[in-house]
Amino acid sequence: MSIIIETKKLTKKFGDFVANSKIDIQVEKQEIKCIVGENGAGKSTLMNMLYGVYKPTSGMILLNGKEIVMNSPTDAIRNGIGMVHQHFKLVPSLTVYENILLGSEITKRGLIDRREEITKVKKLIEQYQFQIDPMEKIQNISVGLCQQVEILKMLYRNVDILILDEPTAVLTPQEVDRLMENLKALKKQGKTIIVITHKLREVMYVSDSVTVIKSGQVIGNVKTKDTNETELAQMMVGRDVVLTVRNESGPKPREEEAYRVEGICTVNDSNHEILHNVSLYVKKGEVLGIAGVEGNGQSELIKVLTGVMTVTKGKVLLGGKDMTNAWPDKLRKFGIGIIPEDRYAQGLCKEMTIPENCIAGYFDTHGVCNKGVLKSGKMKQLCDDYIQKYDIRVSDQYGVISQLSGGNAQKVIIAREFENNPDLIIACQPTRGVDIGSIEFIHRQLLALRNAGKAVLLISSELTEIMSLSDRIVVMYKGGIIGEVDPQAASAEEIGLLMAGAGAKGGN
Amino acid sequence: MTKKKSDYIGPKVLNTLLPVGLAFLIGGIIILCIGENPLEAYRIMLGKSLFTAKGFLNTLHYASPLLLTGLAIAITFKANLFNMGVEGQLLVGGFFAGIAGASLDLTSPVMQKVVCMLVGIGCGVLFALIPALLRAFFHVDEMVVTLMLNYAMIKVLEYLSSGPFREAGSGYVCTPVIHESAMFQRLGIGNSRLTMFFFLAFAILLIMTFIFKKTKLGMEITAIGKNPDFAEATGMRVRRKIIILMCISGALAGLAGAGHMMSEKFKYTLGFSGTTGLGWDGMLIALLGRHNPIGVLLAAIFYSALKTGADNINMYTSVPKEIVGVLQGLIILFLAVQFLDERFGLRERFARRMSRKEEA
Repeated sequence: MSIIIETKKLTKKFGDFVANSKIDIQVEKQEIKCIVGENGAGKSTLMNMLYGVYKPTSGMILLNGKEIVMNSPTDAIRNGIGMVHQHFKLVPSLTVYENILLGSEITKRGLIDRREEITKVKKLIEQYQFQIDPMEKIQNISVGLCQQVEILKMLYRNVDILILDEPTAVLTPQEVDRLMENLKALKKQGKTIIVITHKLREVMYVSDSVTVIKSGQVIGNVKTKDTNETELAQMMVGRDVVLTVRNESGPKPREEEAYRVEGICTVNDSNHEILHNVSLYVKKGEVLGIAGVEGNGQSELIKVLTGVMTVTKGKVLLGGKDMTNAWPDKLRKFGIGIIPEDRYAQGLCKEMTIPENCIAGYFDTHGVCNKGVLKSGKMKQLCDDYIQKYDIRVSDQYGVISQLSGGNAQKVIIAREFENNPDLIIACQPTRGVDIGSIEFIHRQLLALRNAGKAVLLISSELTEIMSLSDRIVVMYKGGIIGEVDPQAASAEEIGLLMAGAGAKGGN
Repeated sequence: MTKKKSDYIGPKVLNTLLPVGLAFLIGGIIILCIGENPLEAYRIMLGKSLFTAKGFLNTLHYASPLLLTGLAIAITFKANLFNMGVEGQLLVGGFFAGIAGASLDLTSPVMQKVVCMLVGIGCGVLFALIPALLRAFFHVDEMVVTLMLNYAMIKVLEYLSSGPFREAGSGYVCTPVIHESAMFQRLGIGNSRLTMFFFLAFAILLIMTFIFKKTKLGMEITAIGKNPDFAEATGMRVRRKIIILMCISGALAGLAGAGHMMSEKFKYTLGFSGTTGLGWDGMLIALLGRHNPIGVLLAAIFYSALKTGADNINMYTSVPKEIVGVLQGLIILFLAVQFLDERFGLRERFARRMSRKEEA
């Protein structure tokens, strides 16, 4: 096999910070190459150089053995290199085919030739065996399909090399499977694919070779068939990690109930009921996992339980105290710690400093605020404590949050919520977009809390996370709870069936 | 390594000075067309009001209400709110402070002043409360409401001052002159007009700076401005804070009106707040001062110097004083353009430019 694209001593510096240092990678024609590494390792920087977004500080990029210089993504596309970003760049009010052809419309006598456009897009979809309706509007289709549109956009422009940046981060398990099949099919049709990811299972399943990047340097190039998940994980973090922390050895949950949700319902903005009679309870010293395909009411349930949405019916009780429709500050005061779903929307304020974020929502504890006046000394001290205790990697400890990588930002939230002695933690997608080292850390912290007799409500779209941490699992489907399972006894397939809405099993 | 914000102060200052410089440049061309020497005109305009002791103290005097109106707008901007009603709040505050000052006659002059100012503040707050409640409970855009209410209030006050509260013996529309006990006396420093009101306004500037930098309220307001979702989810009660903030803004505007009444005008006339209006000037000052307390202080003094300088220019040259209005308009126009990207320092920008050239 011939090498289609390679880099030689590719280096990128931002000021004094070296994001990529002398990177040598080689991608063979018609292979699926995975680039793995922890958050902040420099994967995205590297890909952005290949796609012409960043200019390398030094080193070169060779395409089919010839050096190429790219000044913009347009140059990259002209060279046959296309990229699908993590956050899609689509126009919601336009249709699928219009988005695919955006910027290269087919015209006839100065007017857009719709019929020709639709025919071409249909052909394209058939050729690559995607399942998507070209006439549908982007705002009406799922995230998974949006991603297909992005891929089609690149394929229409005849790229040979397709770069995907964390393609599975936003997908449901079914959509992930679909994507994997699509990628394999594309490879068969002669495309070369580079995937950035940190989900090792996907790497093992889909790739031909793997490059591991750590701290801006290549630390390993391996053929997928010669390696395994554990080895890759070790390479990524440079030490042994237990890939999944298991909830096994701790004490049994106590019988006392810590938290109870009774028959809550809520409606969305357009007055549709989106939660129907959701009831659940969490005992002290127990992790209750809520599984489900995203979009089945979990987000709304989280909003209701964390005080940013109100219920229309039902009750929420924390140790007997009524918490129904309580404000977030009251919830926290009464001992509910909240790890929100989207850390940069609800959990942290990127443009504010770490000390400020460390006290957000908790002005009354740790003596950081006296009669409304903030004690900056105390705040800094608290921030230092958190950084040390939770191993938060910072370059400027009193600087703004946006300097932190995803995992470290998440640790700031974990520190803030755990250090205020909660009776219950509502943890939503606690490890989404977080590197492996941090995932393990966060999982251990959650279990430590459980073993100390606290209650944990875990809501996650990562089934393995739910299965390995929970004492009990309830599954949500279409705004209601469809069933409860015992993670020890049930298999992933059984839970998967419930998630897909097939027959409730074992109601209690 | 992320750079600290303070490293990038260069472009920020330049982004403020460039519009002013460009406005003066174009203003200069206009002055040339009139047939005067622009440098001479500017020297007369700013020289007297900034570089003579008496002139400077007068400048400070006229800067006092501007300081407060500038601050009133700057603080709401922090929370991504836009109180465009500072002018109306200032007028209503000034009007009723004047009525109180004329109709009440307390024995203690200190009490008289305090009561007048409280009336002004109260009226400003009440008037600001309307858009605040509409915004907080009904999601009505506060920018539109505050803007339109200005005109409503101007008309209401026009009616009140020419009807029920009109001074009978006066040949033009005005309210009775306030009692002497309600007037801020000139301090007599360097024969200037400076009164205690300036120091009061300055003290309030310091207090507001403290509130915004050092208190829970200040941090919450910053959070609301930067990320409302975050503020809501961490229990900062966004709705309540919006109301509080609009009330503070209204209070500052009302106090500016009361102070202007008690230190300069002494009675309400239809031209109480001057042409362009102290509230509208405040908007320019907040913009020019980049919503930062020290910036507001400097911008208020600069703008006040322009205004007092306008009289000098009228007196000593054939350039009409309206040139200041032209300058003001030009400054706003150019302020709307962001000349330099503020994310990078000047040195880095220069280095980038150089490396780009080398590559080319």
